[in-house]
Amino acid sequence: MNNTASQDNFTAADDIVVLVSHLTKDYFNGEEKIPVLKDINLEVRRGEMVAVMGPSGSGKSTLLFCLGLFQQPTSGVYRVAGVDVLSLTRTQQALFRRETVGFVFQTCDLLENSTVYENLELPLIYAGVRKRERPDRIRHALDMVNLGHRIRQPSNRLSGGERQRVSIARALVNDPEFILADEPTGQLDRENSLRVLEYFQKITDEARTAMVVVTHDAMTSEHCTRKCVLSDGVLEG
Amino acid sequence: MALKPRKNIRIEALERAGRSSAFRRYRDLIRVSVREVVRKRRRYIGVVAAIALSTAGFIVIITMGNDLKKNFNNDLDLLGGATIINPYFEKKSYERLEWFRPRTMEAIAKIPGVLSTTRVTLKTGAVTTWKDRLFGFNLVGVEASYWNVFSFNAAEGRLFDDQDVAEGAKVVVVGTDLARQIFGGDKEAIGQLLSIDDNLYRVVGILGGVRAGDRSQFAFLPITTAKARVVGISDPYSAYVRCATWDDVVPVSKALPQVVAASQEDRGLQINVATEPLEQVKRIFWWVSLFIYSSIVATMILGGFGIWNIMMAAVVSRTREIGLKKAMGALDNDILYQFLFEALCVTTSASLIGILLGRIGVEYMSHLIGANPPEGLFLMCLAGGLAFSIILGVGSGLYPSIRASRMQVVDAMRYE
Repeated sequence: MNNTASQDNFTAADDIVVLVSHLTKDYFNGEEKIPVLKDINLEVRRGEMVAVMGPSGSGKSTLLFCLGLFQQPTSGVYRVAGVDVLSLTRTQQALFRRETVGFVFQTCDLLENSTVYENLELPLIYAGVRKRERPDRIRHALDMVNLGHRIRQPSNRLSGGERQRVSIARALVNDPEFILADEPTGQLDRENSLRVLEYFQKITDEARTAMVVVTHDAMTSEHCTRKCVLSDGVLEG
Repeated sequence: MALKPRKNIRIEALERAGRSSAFRRYRDLIRVSVREVVRKRRRYIGVVAAIALSTAGFIVIITMGNDLKKNFNNDLDLLGGATIINPYFEKKSYERLEWFRPRTMEAIAKIPGVLSTTRVTLKTGAVTTWKDRLFGFNLVGVEASYWNVFSFNAAEGRLFDDQDVAEGAKVVVVGTDLARQIFGGDKEAIGQLLSIDDNLYRVVGILGGVRAGDRSQFAFLPITTAKARVVGISDPYSAYVRCATWDDVVPVSKALPQVVAASQEDRGLQINVATEPLEQVKRIFWWVSLFIYSSIVATMILGGFGIWNIMMAAVVSRTREIGLKKAMGALDNDILYQFLFEALCVTTSASLIGILLGRIGVEYMSHLIGANPPEGLFLMCLAGGLAFSIILGVGSGLYPSIRASRMQVVDAMRYE
């Protein structure tokens, strides 16, 4: 792992999907500056699954929000697939996000009163994918998590493990360059956690998608190719 | 699985693709919004009912308003015939008293807003004898249209018709008090012979109707019979013009002098309008209309506030969903339009139900009062109702939609 990348490394041609250099994020409480992320450097290559661990309040969520372009860092450089994403406008970032990044959240956050198909269709609608192309892409994404047979099932009739697998399929449906997962096994039992992690490994191995998993679960981190620890805003490992 | 090729990501291409797929995206968002509203329809029942009923009320009142006015006018006799104008000739010094010619009456009947016309001849102090007793009364020669102008009907027997007038039939209709005095009752009078100026006339009917009490001491002959047989009866120097609605009274009364002057000598012409009852009726109707329209507007506004409230609550309760959608790549506009489409879906469906109810209401009212409202007016109301529902939907849904669209993903995703 190389988490001390310099500007010289920033080329779109190589396998680096995510490149973060000297990234900082400060919050302000009136005049008081509260540094949350301090000089973060991180590279994630295709097919890599990087675990970011750390105790509560260490800045894991802030890092995830910065990587997901939900929050603008205070300073630093952040490139995804060779594109300097911090220089983009808010709308451009949204366009970029829907093409490049997939998200898996701890609480799954499936749309209630909707079927599995409708949940997976939404990212495709936002991406402007033609209606006739959608069923194949949705089926393909569901097959990746072995849920093809549940395509017409209402989301509120799925088990916890199945819901998380649907949210993984939803993250995959737009064929992203990398996936950000926030405590993906946080609400699952051991058996379902192992299955989800197996799917993650399958995705990174077969589809060569890069993945950043924010977790404090040791078992999850053991399934990752690399492990970084975020402590008091400093990323080490 | 084969190694997937790396995406060639160019922002300009993404923006171009976003623009070119905008129509498809918004069409799908409309579908998603409709699905959302249908699945959560229970929360919208109250506002849909309010908007639907007010739209139906609006359509019925506007479409049927004119017919209702006309129908209401039939009952205006209670207030002194507010829609009846009485043009008459007044004698000026020693000149001959003018009277209404048939061609003048035809010209008056053609004035827009005139429903029917009639003219009368009069002999005051007419006498008759019955079983050696002498009775005095007012004798009026009238056309058959006289009954329509004053909404008279037959309390007993029948009122004479156009054929009786044309033939100069020797028939008479008497007021109810006169019938009681002479013959002892309405029923007893029918078929009796009444002697006037050495001519015998058969009593065919007793005058009935709201205003029949004013003429209970009158006897009515066909105008042709009266002119031919009654000594000393006047020429028809007085006429009555019934207007379709009270809104027609002023324009018709203004037009009358010119129309009469164009047809005949108008010396001594006077126009008598029942101004006070007319104003009274207008005032009553204005207040009733104000009350009805205020109720409709208040209901619609309440419906709008209802939608606003529901949409605001939806924005709060769906905060995480909004964050999630933005995380999936929804643009601010996608969120704005989705919420706006949902509000529009509610108001438009409510409006369509209202139009359907309005149509049923119009058909029922038409059947009830025997009216035939213009189809164009209904279509205009239909368009108006739909336009208003769109305005209401946009008006009530815009602020919550803007709020939803401007929500920060971080705040939305952290919302518990």
